[in-house]
Amino acid sequence: MRAILLACLLGCGDAWALEAGAPMPPLAAPALDDAAQPVSLAATRGDVVYVDFWASWCGPCKISMPVLEAMQQKYGKRGFRVIGVNKDVSVADARRFLRQVPVGFTLVHDGGDKLARAFDVKAMPSGYLVDRRGVVRYVHRGFTSESEAALQREVSSLLEEAP
Amino acid sequence: MKGLLLAALVLGGCAPVHVAPYERGYLARPGMAFDAGLGTGRAMEKIHPSKEAASGGGSVGGGGCGCN
Repeated sequence: MRAILLACLLGCGDAWALEAGAPMPPLAAPALDDAAQPVSLAATRGDVVYVDFWASWCGPCKISMPVLEAMQQKYGKRGFRVIGVNKDVSVADARRFLRQVPVGFTLVHDGGDKLARAFDVKAMPSGYLVDRRGVVRYVHRGFTSESEAALQREVSSLLEEAP
Repeated sequence: MKGLLLAALVLGGCAPVHVAPYERGYLARPGMAFDAGLGTGRAMEKIHPSKEAASGGGSVGGGGCGCN
């Protein structure tokens, strides 16, 4: 009875969030440029993956996207993958943004908020750095030049780890 | 205890409407701004006193230090 009461009271706010140490949710989402082609997060097991939630209306995303693109090119051959999860309501807005900030990494569209809910995204942009075993190791909320330096350090250390 | 449970269930419905950070695309649209950036805010400020037959009250005096 007490547990039900507590659950009711706690139900007022959502305190849960995906933090470091949790396994990456094994979900799939349609590719941004081709809705018929699903991209599975489970298929990335064995790689160091950065799942980045972004949108065209998100200011810091204009800084984070070129940084992530450079990192994908720098560490891609060693097994680093960036998956950009777009949170725009209209895909056309995302395309307009990508014309200004072109990126080459995998992009998916999360129209139904399934991924955002599974990761319980608390800020935009939010990035989840996942190790080769599929465990979330670092979470970045927001993006500054400090995040860039930290991300470089974290990615190069995770790439050193054995799968 | 039953009453308390009922209260918890009912008060749960009073939780504020929560807009998730990833849902703020709608709020970021230019049409959602209080001031569209074309001087409409200033125009409203000018018109308001004549409509209301009273002026002032649109802002607070002082420098924001809370000392006056």
